[in-house]
Amino acid sequence: MASYLVKRFLRSFITLIIILSIVFILVRQMPIDGYFQNFEKLNEAQIQNGLHEMGLDRPIFVQLFDFFKNLVLHGDLGTSRIYRAGVPVAEILAPKIPVSVRLGTLSLLVSLVLGLPMGLVMAKYKGRFLDHLGTAIIVLIEAVPAAVYYLFLQFYGTSALGIGMTMFSEADLHNPVYWILPVLSMSLGNMTYYAMWLRRYMVDESMKDYVTLARIKGASETRIMFLHVFKNAFVPMVQYIPTSFLNTVIGSIYVESLYSIPGMGGLLVDVVKRQDNAMVQAIVLLFATVGIIGLLLGDLLMVFMDPRISLAKKGGER
Amino acid sequence: MSKPILSVRNLHVKFTLRGRELHALRGIDLDVLDGESLAIVGESGSGKSVLNKNFIGLLDQNGFIPEGSIRYYGMGDKMRNYGTCAGEDENGPYVDLAAFRRKDEWLRIRGSEICMIPQDPMTSLNPLKTIGWQISEALRLHHGMTGRMAKEETLRILQDVRIDDPARRYKQYPHELSGGMRQRVVIAIAIACQPRILICDEPTTALDVTIQAQVLTLLRELKEKYHLTIIFITHDLGVVANIADRVAVMYAGDIVELGLVDEIFYEPKHPYTWALLSSLPQLGQRGEDLYAIRGTPPNLFKEVQGDAFAPRNPQALVIDKLEQPPYFEISPTHKARTWLLDPRAPKLEPPAVIAKLRELGGVRHGR
Repeated sequence: MASYLVKRFLRSFITLIIILSIVFILVRQMPIDGYFQNFEKLNEAQIQNGLHEMGLDRPIFVQLFDFFKNLVLHGDLGTSRIYRAGVPVAEILAPKIPVSVRLGTLSLLVSLVLGLPMGLVMAKYKGRFLDHLGTAIIVLIEAVPAAVYYLFLQFYGTSALGIGMTMFSEADLHNPVYWILPVLSMSLGNMTYYAMWLRRYMVDESMKDYVTLARIKGASETRIMFLHVFKNAFVPMVQYIPTSFLNTVIGSIYVESLYSIPGMGGLLVDVVKRQDNAMVQAIVLLFATVGIIGLLLGDLLMVFMDPRISLAKKGGER
Repeated sequence: MSKPILSVRNLHVKFTLRGRELHALRGIDLDVLDGESLAIVGESGSGKSVLNKNFIGLLDQNGFIPEGSIRYYGMGDKMRNYGTCAGEDENGPYVDLAAFRRKDEWLRIRGSEICMIPQDPMTSLNPLKTIGWQISEALRLHHGMTGRMAKEETLRILQDVRIDDPARRYKQYPHELSGGMRQRVVIAIAIACQPRILICDEPTTALDVTIQAQVLTLLRELKEKYHLTIIFITHDLGVVANIADRVAVMYAGDIVELGLVDEIFYEPKHPYTWALLSSLPQLGQRGEDLYAIRGTPPNLFKEVQGDAFAPRNPQALVIDKLEQPPYFEISPTHKARTWLLDPRAPKLEPPAVIAKLRELGGVRHGR
């Protein structure tokens, strides 16, 4: 196990370098006019001068080497050029990360806490009223575009809670009441996902022979559902939880902007559009790292839950 | 002769399938005697599994019992909890399993009174729970044992089913065990429930021949040690000869012949039993094709007229196709449903190979 983890970390490290290099090279393939606000009015000498200042006139591999040298030796991610000109990227991201992570963590927890019992109840009462009710809720949430129910929740939710539409101040950011609606908005999609798949896996599992044996043993249906079927049905889902956490953090663009939450949701798209290379690289580094850790965590969770799965060996029975 | 522990009377089971009704069991009468081992044989689809599923309340959702009773006598005075399902007759207080309507009524029967070893040991264990957990679950459920006590009892039962190094196996997961081992674990789970009746549904089909013999020996030992009544569902006549006291031969949802194992093997009376025995590979002649019963079992969506086996029986009588034969008693322990036993019927001799079975001393082995 330990040697597997070491190997996996080394591989992850190489993956990170490759991802960063590709992104680094790609953003430098963008048209240079994006780097200047008044490109049309500049003459050739001014442009060359500007590129030289930004260090963009050097050969691309020299730039890449410099980037990695600064990153590794000084932990320096560079400075923002447009988003907040002259401010170190790390300084811009530092306050945003905890906000997004908090939003992501909370909404993941809420979606699990709501979605898993929902799927469990649906599976237990398969084909009966509660199952149909659950299906109706899932279809509703899946069919209505997220943007629509986000707005709906914002309009009616904020007035019901008696709070402002957005987080205006630093104080609002620390007031839990203000977090209810964004977290709920973010978790509904994942909730239906967990409910739907848990129901499906549980229905599949409850057809299996070991359930019959548990029944023969004299275990009650409730006991069978909780102690035998649930865990078996949860194993195939557990792998995706860390990844869906990541998606929640990245995918919170709309919710963050609706409630003016100072997170990182829309940041990547924003800085790509504005060709703020250092920012792009830093955010990609962050997301890729979280992604790789997420996948690793997913695999480790699987090993923890299912004794048949071994990461160290090839194969296995599943 | 010992008293019945389970008494089936005129049991009918039907299944609703796409708007039609399949008559799977057509009036079964059967007594399971306390402490015996009874084999129920018959080809696939004859209803032997369906019959046994009734004993444990695991009939498929679309199956139902239009009439008949299954009286279980093993509960003694505890039967009073069962209200209208309980009663008393000449064999003592009983619970009528066929009258159960709620799922929770089965919880005090399953496992602790009647338990079953399912067909496929490879898939019958929960892959995510340790062997120890799965066996001790039975102890927790039925005997209120917990912690150390449950563990010690589990280790003892593992020893009883001849699993070596129980302490290590206790912590292992099903995928770490071989098929034969898993079958033993499944048996251990059944034993831990301490049932009166143990149903073995084709207990050896999924195992290779050497393991088969071991498992049968084990079951025989456990039967003695735990005073079990065992019902074997099988189409392996070798298993029957090896382990059964009595045999019930089923065909098309009915028991056509019932008798002691020697009576069935050496003095079979029903043409279907003849055909079944004739198809034993041990009786084949070198160079000749093995005997096979021609035709297919009747369609149970339609009501069966007369003797269900008549259409496949080249020597069927005229009356066989018109009227269902009653049971004729050959001895107090042996009865068969065939018109051939009527005094007015022509004397038909069983096929010559049946006599050969007698010469061979049967298909018994390993006893």
